Amino acid sequence: MANQLLATQEQTDLTMRQDDYLLEVNNLKMYFPITQGLFARVKGFTKAVDDVSFFIRDGETLGLVGESGCGKTTAGRCIARAYDPTDGQVLYRNGDGKVVDLASLNSREIQPYHREVRMIFQDPYSSLNPRMTVFDNISEALKVHKMATPKEMEERVEYLLKRVGLRPEYIRRYPHAFSGGERQRIGIARALVTNPHLIIADEAVSALDVSIRAQILNLMEELQEEFSLTYLFISHDLSVIRHICDRVVVMYVGKVVETSSGLDPYINPMHPYTEALMSSVPVSNPDAREAGARIRLEGQVADPSSPPSGCYFHPRCRYVRERCNHEEPALRDMGNDHFVACHFAEELSLEGVRMV
Amino acid sequence: MSDVLLRVRDLRVHFFTDEGIVKAVDGVDLDIERGKTLCLVGESGCGKSVACRSFLNIVQPPGRIVSGEMLFYGGADREPVDLAKLDAKGRQIRQIRGKEISMIFQEPMTSLSPMYTVGNQIMENILLHTGTSKEDAREKAIDLLGQVGIPKPDRLIDEYPFRLSGGMRQRAMIAMALSCHPNLLVADEPTTALDVTTQAQILDLMLELQHNYGMALLFITHDLGVVAEIADDVAVMYLGKIVERATARVIFNEPQHPYTRSLLRSIPKIAMKREELDPIKGMVPSPFRRPEGCTFHPRCPNVMDVCRHVVPSVTQLDDTHTVQCLLYEPEPVEQARS
Repeated sequence: MANQLLATQEQTDLTMRQDDYLLEVNNLKMYFPITQGLFARVKGFTKAVDDVSFFIRDGETLGLVGESGCGKTTAGRCIARAYDPTDGQVLYRNGDGKVVDLASLNSREIQPYHREVRMIFQDPYSSLNPRMTVFDNISEALKVHKMATPKEMEERVEYLLKRVGLRPEYIRRYPHAFSGGERQRIGIARALVTNPHLIIADEAVSALDVSIRAQILNLMEELQEEFSLTYLFISHDLSVIRHICDRVVVMYVGKVVETSSGLDPYINPMHPYTEALMSSVPVSNPDAREAGARIRLEGQVADPSSPPSGCYFHPRCRYVRERCNHEEPALRDMGNDHFVACHFAEELSLEGVRMV
Repeated sequence: MSDVLLRVRDLRVHFFTDEGIVKAVDGVDLDIERGKTLCLVGESGCGKSVACRSFLNIVQPPGRIVSGEMLFYGGADREPVDLAKLDAKGRQIRQIRGKEISMIFQEPMTSLSPMYTVGNQIMENILLHTGTSKEDAREKAIDLLGQVGIPKPDRLIDEYPFRLSGGMRQRAMIAMALSCHPNLLVADEPTTALDVTTQAQILDLMLELQHNYGMALLFITHDLGVVAEIADDVAVMYLGKIVERATARVIFNEPQHPYTRSLLRSIPKIAMKREELDPIKGMVPSPFRRPEGCTFHPRCPNVMDVCRHVVPSVTQLDDTHTVQCLLYEPEPVEQARS
């Protein structure tokens, strides 16, 4: 059935820029209408994701960072097609090497891809159905996609439970019997059950205690190797991203402001926002306290329904100039796969995280 | 001679529930010095918040302060008052709460009343404790909102909390807490719910205000980065006990208790090369199934036989460094052997 659907698609001419990309997002837009009055007249749009482009290589971990409200979660959900994007392409390379645009598929055609692209959510308390047992929670996708017989399902769930560090005897228990860390393990098992290629982890460790967080991060790294997974790791915690990711994309008010190969934005940021973001992370070393003045961002994140003119970051930028007020910077290639959306990226010399 | 503001000795706060007694705070000794910042760290469920609530005597039933003393050297004459002995609803503690000791909570939305304007809530505290006129109180409130970095404070004072963002609400909370120039500010995870950039703003603000007002700050957090940033002293808590206490430098550079060491090893560090994290095995045990002996022994990498049944006592390593671990107590180990 799935193969038939794929065959009927007329998207044979799609290609990605490079052969090792698993996912390529081109000019993705997600606008939420703001309505008013009895007949829900649309009076404006919240541009949660506005012209975002990035790619993920097969087998790597891409970090998507930014403050709350910058659209990172919305971008993740568009890729998983939990939202229907307003515009743009989400190119995905399926198992046969064929490229499909996930954004243009209708709700029937997208079905086979829901099992290849899976999500792990932030809050392990609200993301599991409390009325379903662990087995039902994990195996639901198998049932929906008619992927296994009941016996296979049981075997698979037991295997996964063991693999994520839970005892298979707990299979008939309900989520309330588990702690936050254990629930997150169940959430991971649920994402893995359909044998996915791409996992979108939306703040997957943010709600966890420090020691549990470390356990889950280690587990996710092990699983990545074992199941050859690709991760899109969405988080506001820059230390976690630094730890687990191969590359980062920095977002601000619905737009990508900086991205590069490797972790350059940490050490060698080229956008003033990235610099400020890195500088505000507390460093766990009391001797570093006097080492240098931090950059403090004034004000708040701009409102995506009425963003400032020109560069969205200009009201908070310490290097702001006349041009930033009225001209919106494009994402430019600075060489070495380092892309920055700032007019003055060449002139500024910005400071990254000091390595110890 | 150190200048102690609050001296806590053998504080025990227990919760009497149907399933049994939860010893949330189980023999805590703590000195908070005037004008200094003490950070209280530990995993969730280790009793940090309950300990701090007991300093203000606002532990909710079925919880109760069972024993211990909390000497507060707050008044002008610096006569100690034992907060533990005061009636939780009495006049004396109410004069201390909000005036001498105030508190900032984690969730700025739930700790401000949605039914009153920001200004009303700040003025309430000022009117209650200082007996100034309403006009003066309003002026003071506007001044405070300006000090905590809220733009256009004269307009914002008449807004309701839902109109403010998380960072702004937390600033309003701080303004409220500071309205009567407290000697001690207790901050329970005040930045955990905020973005890093907002967190940096709030931390700066708190340190600046601490400097201006000369108050002591008791800061509860599980974020060790924040601790490194602001703490003079650090107390590490595990299952109702302070397992290690020292200056911030010592805690980060030469931690002695295995729990402190494990905690430090389990955090991803932004300024370090990628290496595998070394998490503490297992998790905080259920409060009803507290391990015998040293409560940390099931998760401890340095566990010895004796840890399973002997409860460690406090060992003074030097003037400012105490640790509660049998590794530093030769005697019980030898006794157990013989």
